[in-house]
Amino acid sequence: MNIFPESISQIGSEMDKLFWIITAVVGIATVITLFLFIYPIVTRKRNKTKEEMYMVGNSHNKRKWVYIGMMLLFLGDMYILLKEHPIWESVEQTLPEPDFKIVIIGKQWMWNIIYPGPDGKLYTDDDVMAYNELHVPVNKVVHMDIKALDVVHSVFLPQARFKQDALPGRTITRWIKLNKTGEYDISCAEICGTGHSIMRGTMYVEDFNTWEKTMADIYKK
Amino acid sequence: MNTKQLKKPTIKDIPQGRLGMWLLIAGEFVIFGGLMVSYLLYRIRYEEWAEMASHTNVILGATNTFVLLTSSYFVVKAHQAAQHKDSKKITMYISLTILCALIFLVVKITEYSQKLHHGFTFSGKELAASGKAIESSYWGFYFLMTGLHATHVVVGAIVLFIVMQGTRKGKNFHRIEIAGLYWHMVDLIWIFLFPLLYIAH
Amino acid sequence: MGTHKKHGFWHRYFFSLDHKDIGFQYLLTAMFMAAFGGFFVYVFRYNLAFGPSDIPLYGDLAAKQYNQLVTNHGAIMIFWVGMPILLAVIGNYLIPIMIGTDDMAFPTLNKISYWIFLLSCIVLLSGFLMPTGAFGGGWTMYPPLSVSDFGYNNPNTTFWSNFFTGNTFFLLAVALEFISMLMGGINFVVTTLNKRAKGMSLMRLPLVVWMVNIANLLFMFSVGPLIAGAFMLLMDILVGTGFFDAYRGGDPILWQHLFWFFGHPEVYVLLLPSIGAVGEIISTFSRKPLFGYKMVILMVIIAAILSLVVWAHHQFVSGIDPGAANIFSLLTIIISIPFAGMVLSYLGTLWKGNIRLEIPMLWALGMLATFTFFGGFTGLHLGSNVFDIYAHDTYFVIAHFHYTLFPTVFLGGFAAFYYWYPKFSGRMMNKTLGLIHFWGTFIFFNTIFIPLFWLGLQGQHRRIYNYSAWNDLLMQPEHIMARQIATVSLIFLLLFQFVFLFNFFYSLKKGKKASKNPWEANTLEWQTDSPPPHGNFDPYPVVQRWPYDYNHPEKELDYCPQTES
Ligand code: HEM
Ligand SMILES: [Cu+2]
Ligand SMILES: [Cu+2]
Repeated sequence: MNIFPESISQIGSEMDKLFWIITAVVGIATVITLFLFIYPIVTRKRNKTKEEMYMVGNSHNKRKWVYIGMMLLFLGDMYILLKEHPIWESVEQTLPEPDFKIVIIGKQWMWNIIYPGPDGKLYTDDDVMAYNELHVPVNKVVHMDIKALDVVHSVFLPQARFKQDALPGRTITRWIKLNKTGEYDISCAEICGTGHSIMRGTMYVEDFNTWEKTMADIYKK
Repeated sequence: MNTKQLKKPTIKDIPQGRLGMWLLIAGEFVIFGGLMVSYLLYRIRYEEWAEMASHTNVILGATNTFVLLTSSYFVVKAHQAAQHKDSKKITMYISLTILCALIFLVVKITEYSQKLHHGFTFSGKELAASGKAIESSYWGFYFLMTGLHATHVVVGAIVLFIVMQGTRKGKNFHRIEIAGLYWHMVDLIWIFLFPLLYIAH
Repeated sequence: MGTHKKHGFWHRYFFSLDHKDIGFQYLLTAMFMAAFGGFFVYVFRYNLAFGPSDIPLYGDLAAKQYNQLVTNHGAIMIFWVGMPILLAVIGNYLIPIMIGTDDMAFPTLNKISYWIFLLSCIVLLSGFLMPTGAFGGGWTMYPPLSVSDFGYNNPNTTFWSNFFTGNTFFLLAVALEFISMLMGGINFVVTTLNKRAKGMSLMRLPLVVWMVNIANLLFMFSVGPLIAGAFMLLMDILVGTGFFDAYRGGDPILWQHLFWFFGHPEVYVLLLPSIGAVGEIISTFSRKPLFGYKMVILMVIIAAILSLVVWAHHQFVSGIDPGAANIFSLLTIIISIPFAGMVLSYLGTLWKGNIRLEIPMLWALGMLATFTFFGGFTGLHLGSNVFDIYAHDTYFVIAHFHYTLFPTVFLGGFAAFYYWYPKFSGRMMNKTLGLIHFWGTFIFFNTIFIPLFWLGLQGQHRRIYNYSAWNDLLMQPEHIMARQIATVSLIFLLLFQFVFLFNFFYSLKKGKKASKNPWEANTLEWQTDSPPPHGNFDPYPVVQRWPYDYNHPEKELDYCPQTES
């Protein structure tokens, strides 16, 4: 049984790795804590003196084990932050030069996709609109201008490990670069009304030649 | 045995009414604080709002500031009188305070009707229809914040009135102080609202 | 002995000013609401596992109703079950007897708080009777969805047609509930500060009293902006203002900030009283002093303050500035450290204890374990902004927050309930039934939510009525199976609650008579009769020591009540 659905981007694979790193940190913490939990329960019937048991923990020296535990967790925390920060920077805080740009607009309850049209530029007269079908080339940087018309939606590409809320009145630009061809899901991850659960689109990742042909077809119509 | 005969346990004598009122005031400030911060965030974002703010009537607003400050002074006086259990003076000063509250409300109503007359309504539908979409929501804040404050003025005045009636029967003089604290809060909130909403630039 | 005259049913349950009666009223009301919350979750989980038609006891479920049930389940469980049980019941019932006084500082205010609370329940439930149906936009009420059919967006509506909608009633109910809890909170804090018995210094207060008060202060300082936001949203619905309307300069994200500025502290508001009660129980049944009492209080205060500045971790992908998200991620992950200090202190209390595995202790240990291992630790996953991009709004989040809230509200709540039951009823609860109830709840709780973690990692997003549109991704046999395991477990979990209900009422009449101090505990409530008379103490106690002198080397017994010199 796999834990994640297949990953179709390098960033996505790094995020999966991050999940395991965090799980490892947490796992170590769990083992230690679990021991501290179970040992006293198992040995609860042993004889102890009152002096041993009257443990108030009112000086720093007596509390040193608590401090050590907190320090260890702090180190684990810092390790997690160290590992995650570069990924965050490249996903959310940088925009590599685009090979292709599209607009994706959430609307109750469908995805409108705007392609740049034959001139290759968005927001011009020859833009072409499509519904629920997104065609992108493989191994290319794609910019998405994410918007919404009515209420908040959220573009969720599970296999690409991508998510971004779409808000009315704002345009948010994010990028993806996918390394595997195929048909994938576009989900809406923010409740948007009765039709929230039918708001699914399909993303086709195609190799460059097929993709060019598809685009030409779309533009012809 | 009768529980009433037992000595009540207390550890310190912080008058508990005062303590409770402080907490209530802290809570009220966080509520108004939330409104004011939201308003400021928009205000900084939209230049259009400065223009809208210039449509407020600074003179009436300043009058009201003065009226409220005066009323706070009367409340202080009433508190002093309460310390001497002088219910005549209390009645006089609290009545003056309530009079101030009434003046405040009359001025407020005048202001509101002026605004409505110029088409600046709560929902801002009229402005939005005339193409001033962003400007329209300024008036939402204006009416919500001043309206909420005016409600507090009304509540405060009623509370003062009830407390005053109590003292006339010679009871509960300490309540003047507590109700007075509330009144000072109402005053103070206005001191914040006035520059935020009225003074444009 | 208290020989006050017996009051009738109506007096006791509707008009009493006694803090114990009011606490009991809150308890019954919360149990009544929990029945709704539980029934809703049964209906919508049944739908997810076995389809929307012919749900036993309900009938067919439509998508719109699914959203309504999910929304109201969440809101009820947090605002009408968690808050009253953990703040109002624990606060009302325990604070006066634990600090050694006769009643709350403002008994009338206390009564009024309860009435407002009751009103809020009625308003919430009447939302289901409105022509537009109950509110179904998620308990987070994000605009514009929560406004989109009304106000400015729908010119055919009037003020009154906007008023009689599920949305308005939901908002009003939440606002009333906040007001009730605020008034209650003021009462608790003043009572604790002002009405302590002689000798009860702050550092001699039982931990749970500290915790309820910190929780109340935290609530008071975080809820204000949301009340302001609720006014704004209400106006958007009723009169068509544009506070959150992006096309008129409003900002939907502002609501999210106002909501989560409250929403995150809110989970700690629930957690603190619960963990406080668990602390009392662990110390009593380990027969050991609470380890690092002052440090625990300090850690909790630090965590409470930090909780005011982590809210945007709910909004990592909502369109906030990605640079700011880094700071929120850092703060969120850091907040694990004071909690680690607290949990380790509790484990220090267990260490070398003569642990007695009584029923309350089982619940307390279960609470601590599930909260730490699954709730707290998956918090690190979600606090990492990178992983949250994927996990946000999936069932991973659902499982995470249920692993914090269910232990807090129910495991901790039951721990407290079984612990103080002898005090408030004067009788012991049946132990066998207690064991059955504990293991039934504990095991099935885990088998509900562990599959949901996995489904979340598979990309199953939340608030979805039916996954059939995601045929490849989410409708494989193993997904269907996981959903069914969760649902069947839920049904069992709910059935085991009837054991509790039976035990509750049965023991009330037929249980073994409880002595003053059946658990041999130290705090003041155990030094008076079970149940305490009107006025609680006779004579009032004088406090000589802190509450955790178990196995004190200079004492004969293994416990030493606070009143003993
Ligand atoms: C009895 C055991 C419980 C089960 C099996 C359960 C199950 C669920 C499930 C499956 C959802 C997600 C529904 C969806 O997104 O489609 C949900 C939502 C929620 N639950 Fe629970 N829950 C339980 C108890 C609780 C408790 C004790 C609390 C809080 C104190 C709680 C608070 C919430 C909240 C806040 C939501 C979010 C509602 C929303 O999406 O608007 N639940 N619950
Ligand atoms: Cu949606
Ligand atoms: Cu949070």
